[in-house]
Amino acid sequence: MSESKIMQLHESLVKKEFSCRELTEKYIAAIEKDNSTLNAYVTVTPETALGTADKVDAKISAGEEISLLEGIPMTLKDNISTDGIRTTCCSKILEDYTPIYDATVWKILKAQNSVLLGKTNMDEFAMGSSCENSYFGGAKNPHNVGHVAGGSSGGVASAVGGNIAVYGLGSDTGGSIRQPASFCGIVGMKPTYGAVSRFGLIAYASSLDQIGPITTNVEDTAIVYDAISQYDPMDSTSQGRKGAAVCDTLKNDIKGMKIGIAREYLEGIREDVRIAVENAISVYQSLGAEIVYFNMPSLKYALPVYYIIACAEASSNLGRYDGIRYGFKAENYRDVNDMVKKTRSTGFGEEVKRRILLGTYVLSSGYYDAYYKKAQNLRGTIVQAFKKAFQACDVILAPTVPMTAFENGHAVSDPVETYLTDICTVPVNICGLPGVSVPCGFDAKGMPIGMQLIGDSFCEAKILNAAWQYEKTANQFRASDFGAKL
Amino acid sequence: MVSKEEIMKIAILSKLFVADDEIDKLTKDMGEIISFADTINNAADEGVEFDNINNLSNAFREDEVVPSYDREKILKNAKDQDDGCFLVKNIMK
Repeated sequence: MSESKIMQLHESLVKKEFSCRELTEKYIAAIEKDNSTLNAYVTVTPETALGTADKVDAKISAGEEISLLEGIPMTLKDNISTDGIRTTCCSKILEDYTPIYDATVWKILKAQNSVLLGKTNMDEFAMGSSCENSYFGGAKNPHNVGHVAGGSSGGVASAVGGNIAVYGLGSDTGGSIRQPASFCGIVGMKPTYGAVSRFGLIAYASSLDQIGPITTNVEDTAIVYDAISQYDPMDSTSQGRKGAAVCDTLKNDIKGMKIGIAREYLEGIREDVRIAVENAISVYQSLGAEIVYFNMPSLKYALPVYYIIACAEASSNLGRYDGIRYGFKAENYRDVNDMVKKTRSTGFGEEVKRRILLGTYVLSSGYYDAYYKKAQNLRGTIVQAFKKAFQACDVILAPTVPMTAFENGHAVSDPVETYLTDICTVPVNICGLPGVSVPCGFDAKGMPIGMQLIGDSFCEAKILNAAWQYEKTANQFRASDFGAKL
Repeated sequence: MVSKEEIMKIAILSKLFVADDEIDKLTKDMGEIISFADTINNAADEGVEFDNINNLSNAFREDEVVPSYDREKILKNAKDQDDGCFLVKNIMK
């Protein structure tokens, strides 16, 4: 039997083992039962979901063919625009904002009758690593609700890990898909910059943001990626997928594949995480892959480079929230300037304001050369280091996060310490590369550990092939106690 | 180190108010974040220019008229509107 959950459900729908309405009702009931504990969804859309389910059932009854994703219950992170459905970015400033158009990724999936169960929780404007910066409170980890789901796409990871959605789309600016996937023991991929359209994704840092799938297994990630990686004229950086569908080569043999280990990625990470990654290296050796070790000294600058560039871009992107055209608007003000300031100061949360201030600082006269320009030059250095690495190997294996999911409330106390948790995920965004996180073990408390496979630009097929082979040999996915029982 | 005065100046540029009871903690937090950002100045400048990711070039297209969004729909998200326009307090006296 296929490990792919999407494939299994698709076959059951086609064989009429259950109807799409029955399947959707199970997930809606599971959300009603578990969302108060997991806090994964911030908006639930049962009518939309059941309406689509009935359309799919009608097609099946009429003997029409349905696509793989048709009728599969799923979710979207709440920064992906949905026409007529509230999209908040989990911020007070967009609490009652309803988009009048669809993000391209949702347009694609909606056209395939994807069953949207609702919109999921996130750190406000995707800024955070625990989901606790959400205006609606953080999403919880389905493996232990005393721990965070991770961030910023914590809601999607909690929903998929807790089986109150089959899959979801998140966004990843510095690790926001891979880190929560790692924390929740599931699979999450940040595609190559430009492979998936960003049109309709509410911007955080435009040169780093990318939409990608979060699923329980590698094949589902491949199926969703193949569906959404299309060229889009509405995004001037869009290129679409290059080459054949990644599903075509997913199950290929990896004998002789060169797997690179940059030693810097294994420094300063928690012992149990390092051991789990080393065990994965052994699995790859047993599969006939060749392990290549090298150094990438410029990696130590990746994190400050990331925060400088991301915040600079955020300070510009978030300039649009002025209370005039949409979103929250302050009351009782003297003039327009006073209104804009009061709107922004009340509408944005603490972390968002900190990042706007840092971004404004590094772009301001007198500091631009020392911070922003210097960070951009170092970005070039890191890009070249990866180019060089990919001359020696096919994929790079690294931990996703230096630790496992933090306990609730731990991440909020010290901003710099929390930033350090993104150390293994940000290089991929800086260089526009694809990276997938795959579960590779558990810590002593039973919290999942994730590893990351990084590829050269537009080499999603290679990293997913390597990920699928690992999963087939040493699957570390564990279902949680939550969610729909099928 | 970043001073309170600098934070106040950046706040004005960012169109944000910083309340009196927030300024001490914010100056401390920003000081730590900025000294963390400062670590990049230990790196030797290898003079690598960064232009953009994956050799993207400008995306040009013909300037064609295409249907846009309905004015009423666009205005639905605005808190104050008048006669098909966004409404703000007068800017010029």
